Amino acid sequence: MGNVTLTRVTKKFGAVEIIKGVDLTVEDGEFCVFVGPSGCGKSTLLRMIAGLEDISSGSLSIGGRDMTDVDPAERGVAMVFQSYALYPHMTVAENIGFGLRMTGHPKEEIARRTAAAADMLQLKPLLERKPAQLSGGQRQRVAIGRAIVRNPDVFLFDEPLSNLDASLRVQMRIEISKLHQDLKSTMIYVTHDQVEAMTMADKIVVLQAGLIEQVGSPLELYHRPRNIFVAGFIGSPKMNFLKVTARPTEGGVAVTFPGGPSLTIPTETPVIKGETTLTLGIRPEHLDRETGDVTLAGTVRLAEHLGSETLLYVTLADGAEISVKADGLTSARPGDAISIPLLARACHLFDTEGTALHNGDLTR
Amino acid sequence: MMSNGSTASGFWKRNQRQWAPWLFLAPGILMFLVYVILPIFQSIWISFEDWDGLGPKTWIGFGNYIELFQDEAFYTSLWNNILWLVLYLLAVPAGLAIALFLNQTVAGIRLYKSLFFFPFVISQVVVGLIFTWFYAPDFGLLSTLIKTLTGTEIAVLADERYVTYGIIAAGLWPQIAYCMILYLTGLNNINPEQIEAGRMDGARGFRLFWNIVLPQLRPATFIALVVTVIGALRSFDLVSVMTAGGPYGSSRVLSFYMYEQALSEYGYRMGYGAAIAVVLFVIMMVFISIFLVRMFRQERNS
Repeated sequence: MGNVTLTRVTKKFGAVEIIKGVDLTVEDGEFCVFVGPSGCGKSTLLRMIAGLEDISSGSLSIGGRDMTDVDPAERGVAMVFQSYALYPHMTVAENIGFGLRMTGHPKEEIARRTAAAADMLQLKPLLERKPAQLSGGQRQRVAIGRAIVRNPDVFLFDEPLSNLDASLRVQMRIEISKLHQDLKSTMIYVTHDQVEAMTMADKIVVLQAGLIEQVGSPLELYHRPRNIFVAGFIGSPKMNFLKVTARPTEGGVAVTFPGGPSLTIPTETPVIKGETTLTLGIRPEHLDRETGDVTLAGTVRLAEHLGSETLLYVTLADGAEISVKADGLTSARPGDAISIPLLARACHLFDTEGTALHNGDLTR
Repeated sequence: MMSNGSTASGFWKRNQRQWAPWLFLAPGILMFLVYVILPIFQSIWISFEDWDGLGPKTWIGFGNYIELFQDEAFYTSLWNNILWLVLYLLAVPAGLAIALFLNQTVAGIRLYKSLFFFPFVISQVVVGLIFTWFYAPDFGLLSTLIKTLTGTEIAVLADERYVTYGIIAAGLWPQIAYCMILYLTGLNNINPEQIEAGRMDGARGFRLFWNIVLPQLRPATFIALVVTVIGALRSFDLVSVMTAGGPYGSSRVLSFYMYEQALSEYGYRMGYGAAIAVVLFVIMMVFISIFLVRMFRQERNS
């Protein structure tokens, strides 16, 4: 069983608190991804689960057993490192079998399990090579093989694809996802690449400054961000944020843009009491509509033609900058005047603290 | 004139890639030939002659060597060289141990590292003097210590049984520091994630060191062995400073005996000294060849 539970876990380096109290449960067999900006503590949290960093306070349990102070080798976890950390003086076979050798398994069993792992990862023809004679993708596979062979309850990945080129990264991403389907083990995966997070995860944990901002499925985080940080972090290009003044109306909020136009956003429950300043959030792809409840006027500053789509960076009349994900065939060029239709149903609202008051929903 | 100049520069342009390396190497090669290679053959030549350094040379064939192989002082020196070689190699594991100890992050670790490296910085002559005083009867720290513990005094450098060990101990001091620096550099190059991977794989303590750390220190170990073996064979300055080969020639090594025979106040037997030098050269060549063969093999493999 590989469910991982963290209870009020903190990590201090001297006086500096890196992890400031994390409560998290990862279910058995779940693919959980930690994302966050660099320095948010996601790697530290992973290393605490691995046992490579002590837990300053709080507790960790894996498979229902308390593992807070257990030696890394005895937690039933295996880790794939960012640098792969292959032993340069050992062959691929020796690298994969090393853990089993250290735990005193008989030679025949090591050979059998190494062969099985190599089979699974198409490493058979490379078993006698040294790491220096392998390509980046092959090294990555050996590092995964070294984890698989120990048959762990929980796999830990620390930014494993960040040293690979773009096409290989896509390929390895798919391979790791397939591996998860085959093995059905718990996997915890750290990355700063939100595409990896969105495509691979059952559950995403967004971290910032040592605290969890939100936990949820990829689409839940995308469509219903709990705060402005998560809204801005998930999605590329990031969500547009516009300062608006708002007052409550019947069945919603009436917002006024600095340039003048105003719009009523329907909400299920009243979200504000009196007149106030709010941040309106809207995703770039929701600005590419035929018609809108209101239109914003602006000037195209930059157009990135990606073929399948065009990213327009637009300066609005009041100077605010927004990005628009438009059709690939758009003829807009820098300097062109443009009017952007805005759908009230697609808008998110955040208060001055950054907490989401209302999440837009185009399906409604 | 013009056409002449352009053909010359044309020749240079065409052959620059072939000629330039040799031109850059020329000063070094020339020096090496004149001051290293040539004297080797001159020494071998002189070893077949009877010569006082100034007067006429007399060809005596293997005369010097026949005398040498019946000379008891030669065997004492040879035996001492073997002792040096074996005991000097202790510097390699000792240097590794200190390097492992110092390879941690504590406040002021740079200062401690420099303090441990200090004996390598000071001159061998000073090392010899320090240890001479350390061993000196009456006021030396060691002999005072031994006297208070056992009641009897041992004059290390005046006792045939201990003198060579005493000098080797002095030589080990800077040599350990040297090996330590080599290993510290090697330890610096180990990826910390590999140590962590080893910990995840269940390797701890000595097994982690033996299976993960030591194999990756092989280049450092190789260099440490080379410099220590060669250092042991060419030991001269400490013997000269601490005992001048005494008492009764019991602490002589080959290089010192050669110097005594050929260049000191005890004699100007150039031919005999050259014969000792040739023997030492042959011994060194054995080790150097082993090292070179290994190095070439490694280069071909990588």
